Amino acid sequence: MSTSSSPIVLMFLLATCSGALQAQAPAVVSLSGPSQLRLGGTGQYSALVNGVSGAVVWSVNGYAGGAGSSGPISTSGFYTPALSIFAGHSVTISAATVATPVSSASLSVKILNPLPTITAGSVTQTAPGTSFVLTVSGSGFVSASQLQLAGVNTATTFLSSTELQSSLNLAAGTTSITVGVLNPDAAQKSAVTQTMTVQTIPPVSLAQATRLLDQSTFGPTLGAVQSVQQMGVAAYLNQQFATPTTRMPAIPNPPVTICPNGTFACAQSSFWKIALTGNDQLRQRVAFALSEIFVVSTDMVNARTIPSYQNLLADDAFGNFSQLVNDVATSPAMGAYLNMLNSNAAPAGQIANENFARELMQLFTTGLYLLNADGSLQLNGQGMPQPVYSQTQVQAYARALTGWTYANASGGVPTSFPNGVPNFDQPMRAIEVAHDMSAKALLSGVTLPAGQTAEQDLSGVIDSIFNHPNVGPFVGRQLIQHLVTGNPSPAYVGRVAAVFANDGSGVRGDMKAVITAILTDPEARAADSDPTAAGGHLREPILYFTGILRALQFTNVDPQGRYDGASNYTAPLGETPYAAGSVFNFFPPSYVIPGSAINAPEFAQENTAAATLRMTLADSIVRNHLTSFSIDMSPTSFLGQIASATGNPATDSANLVTALNILFTHAQMAPTLQSAIAANAALLPDIGQRVRVSTWLVISSNFYKIEQ
Amino acid sequence: MGYNRRSFIQYASMAAGGSLVGLRPFGALNAFAQTAPASGYKALVCVFLFGGNDANNTLVPTDTAGYDNYATLRGPLALPQSQLIQLASLPQYGLHGSLPEIAQLVDSGAAALIANVGTLVAPTTRANVTAQLNLPSNLFSHSDQQLQWQNAAQSATTSTGWAGRMSDLLGSSFNPSASIPMITTVAGDTLFCDGQSTTPLAVSPGNLSGVSCGEGAAECGVRQAIAQSFLSFASGLNLVQADNAISQNAARYAGVLTQAVSSVAPLATVFPANNPFATQLQQIAQLMQVRNSFGVNRQIFFAGVGNFDTHADQAGQQSLLLGQVSSAMSAFYQATQELGIANEVTTFTMSDFSRTLQPNSNSGSDHGWGSHHIVLGGAVRGAKLYGTYPTLALGGPDDSDVNGRWIPTTSTVQYAATLASWFGVSAAQLNTIFPSLGAFSSANLGFV
Repeated sequence: MSTSSSPIVLMFLLATCSGALQAQAPAVVSLSGPSQLRLGGTGQYSALVNGVSGAVVWSVNGYAGGAGSSGPISTSGFYTPALSIFAGHSVTISAATVATPVSSASLSVKILNPLPTITAGSVTQTAPGTSFVLTVSGSGFVSASQLQLAGVNTATTFLSSTELQSSLNLAAGTTSITVGVLNPDAAQKSAVTQTMTVQTIPPVSLAQATRLLDQSTFGPTLGAVQSVQQMGVAAYLNQQFATPTTRMPAIPNPPVTICPNGTFACAQSSFWKIALTGNDQLRQRVAFALSEIFVVSTDMVNARTIPSYQNLLADDAFGNFSQLVNDVATSPAMGAYLNMLNSNAAPAGQIANENFARELMQLFTTGLYLLNADGSLQLNGQGMPQPVYSQTQVQAYARALTGWTYANASGGVPTSFPNGVPNFDQPMRAIEVAHDMSAKALLSGVTLPAGQTAEQDLSGVIDSIFNHPNVGPFVGRQLIQHLVTGNPSPAYVGRVAAVFANDGSGVRGDMKAVITAILTDPEARAADSDPTAAGGHLREPILYFTGILRALQFTNVDPQGRYDGASNYTAPLGETPYAAGSVFNFFPPSYVIPGSAINAPEFAQENTAAATLRMTLADSIVRNHLTSFSIDMSPTSFLGQIASATGNPATDSANLVTALNILFTHAQMAPTLQSAIAANAALLPDIGQRVRVSTWLVISSNFYKIEQ
Repeated sequence: MGYNRRSFIQYASMAAGGSLVGLRPFGALNAFAQTAPASGYKALVCVFLFGGNDANNTLVPTDTAGYDNYATLRGPLALPQSQLIQLASLPQYGLHGSLPEIAQLVDSGAAALIANVGTLVAPTTRANVTAQLNLPSNLFSHSDQQLQWQNAAQSATTSTGWAGRMSDLLGSSFNPSASIPMITTVAGDTLFCDGQSTTPLAVSPGNLSGVSCGEGAAECGVRQAIAQSFLSFASGLNLVQADNAISQNAARYAGVLTQAVSSVAPLATVFPANNPFATQLQQIAQLMQVRNSFGVNRQIFFAGVGNFDTHADQAGQQSLLLGQVSSAMSAFYQATQELGIANEVTTFTMSDFSRTLQPNSNSGSDHGWGSHHIVLGGAVRGAKLYGTYPTLALGGPDDSDVNGRWIPTTSTVQYAATLASWFGVSAAQLNTIFPSLGAFSSANLGFV
């Protein structure tokens, strides 16, 4: 950019005389243009020869046409300073005559930095309670640009001509700051400023970290607790959302290597291994919750269908719900379990198999009755609930879902129906001749016209269900029940259902948004700071087992690396992975504790027998009597070291109880109970026994069994 | 003094406003009960067939016309007549081929068959069903129908089982000095066993010893005492308190159970192996063997068998399951004979529903309604078929639609009330426990 200029002109005057020889007078060159230019800008210079514009040779710093180090000047005097020129230095622009004798004129031009602008900026923490990062976007930034905080220079990192960054330490409670940018050698009168809001990451307490981990994994570990506290809740969730699926390997027939003892054992072993050790804990925990809604059971289906089923639940856990329904419907596992596999268009005298059609609606998506957005029943004028679907509609869905069979070996459409060669790993495919071609009147006003293909009908089936307003509250409520609390308030359900309906970007069924809403809802987080807040749920046997093993840093000592031994301990309590007794899962979502109004699904399996068995299981664990697993409760274990570190029994016992309190009871165990455990522990000189008894008292207590 | 429906509701709300279940596990102390302690011993044993057993293939017409009609309508699901077991006591009927022991028990008079039992608000007709008038809710939903069989009410919202209500009303008066509840389950806690203030003793078959502990007698005692003290710590947390109640009961019963079975000699009766249902009944038999240690005069037991939901490939699955049921129930009856209480124990089946007479295209059947059931025991007036066998006609007078889902002609309420009467419940008390009983013509079907 040019500034006001004061042209410097040099002129040569030549005298003339009459008479014999006349010598030629030198031309007079005059030059005008800006005497200051900014890097990133240009300048237009003009020259007159004897007062008339004409061709001249332009030079910069003596180089005709300019040079790499100075920047080019065109034949019409258009000059672009090289960006490599140090701001504050000058260049000399010259114009010289073409004709000899050469006359020229020069101009000294000072090169300045651009003037910076700020278009946007943010001040955010990278982790709770530590430093902030200031990021400023704008234009005209140079490597020497200086960020200022309230007029004071701060160390500046030049990222690009449009972005600067700085690390800041701010006083606690700072909510906004004023940031300035000043370029040296820019003749900038004053810094250009902008005020920005400070975005803090709230610190994560032990209670919050452990509760969140209990809700989003198969059990907290000390390392995970520290990690969540260091990175903050949002960053933790982002990390988990970005973690890819730990895949369950396919089970060949006959089973080899993985576990030679049968396909059921293979599926079990893979499930436990992933749950106990997988990095994608949130994904797998959600997949587990989905497996308790979209139930399939090896009671009735070949266990070789399980890996592809487990993998689709894990993959789709962070996708869209409509995709999940599609993938479940076409899975060989669900096909075999609820008979969509090989369900034929019914000949005269028979009806289409209703099993999947009914449970798809009743259990997996809409439920039996029309719901308000908060999950409460819609009642008619007589105060009665209203069914979502009729028996006739069940038959219609049953007909719509006919024609599907195993894919061929490469996943394509087989040559005949039914396909007698099972493909347990890839989605089912349809054979049109086995598909019912009649029209079907479905939910949501959807009527499938006659003559559609099986795929078209499936798509229509899913549309009619996915868009039904019941789905958000019905499925959302069950996900809340599996992850957070069995008895959510209608308001909580309503908030989650709203996110299911619209994730904020107009998308329905966004699972990541729904999961985030569930875990970050104020009701999910209430007990972080108030241990008496109502809610929570009984740890079901599978989660009880994984929670304890993960916390106690178990190791697998099975000679074949098998994990299915875990099922021996949860089966007597009513749960074997992927082996629920019916499509209603191990416990129904509607279960209410008898004599109360408390919806507590997991209590359906809690009775005097189960309570006793859990205490016995806790004893087996602390005595390290588990097959395939080693639980180190010795004096050299991590708990043993805590329990003996100082040599003072009272101190060591208190520290042991503190550690157990963090691992198992969210650092919220009542002091009276802590004292009781510690007082007893201090009386036990045998460190191993001190650890065993104290751990048993915690993990067998209802304060651990109930995840508050 | 009779109780009408209003007083029952008042009673129920009084009990509900009281303490959480488990703190009074043996039934509310009912100021209105005027029942003497029961004399002698009687036990009801409920066997629930989860999933909806196909009764159409359980009890089959064997007269020529009847069988031909059945075979035509059932198509690929029809059982060949040669595979049916012709009942000597019921010349026009045969049982599924996997029920030989049941057939013998029926013919010997130890068992009876009850036809076309199902959930009903009141006796109803095909026209009413078509018009959807006055029907039980969610007729073809597993969960709803299971609950309605167990609560002998017509909606899943009744939150007590009929055994639970019997225990609420009569548990403490029938069993004034019992150390365990009137109801014991060997198949997990279900609605059947739950009353307003009653929770059952739940037993894991074969696992009657209490909590294991390897710390030596002294420290084990200390450990247990500390754990017990936690159970009465007032945290104000609902779920913890609810679990505390269960845990307190568990501790109380564990001692009683361990003591009772510690020196008992095994029964001579051999129960079938590889039959989890038989293991359940064997556990019940053992508990009956030591009943005197519990101080019980009246007991109700709950056992269950799953996987009856045969939407596909019904033939093999049903054969397997019915075979297990038959051999297990027969061994159990033998055990009661060995214990000398065969006349004092009445075992009865229940199931969500029967299944469509019309098969589906997967060699299976879908959810039906009225079903046939077995009642077994020395007191049963056996060798008979009670109730009315449905007319096997698709879209016929007994069909609720066109697929052969039979409208029940006997209600679950009448079925349960008959058993309760035998058990010792008075006529007046029956109306309290079964509020809708008056809608039906007969409160006692006479089979026991």
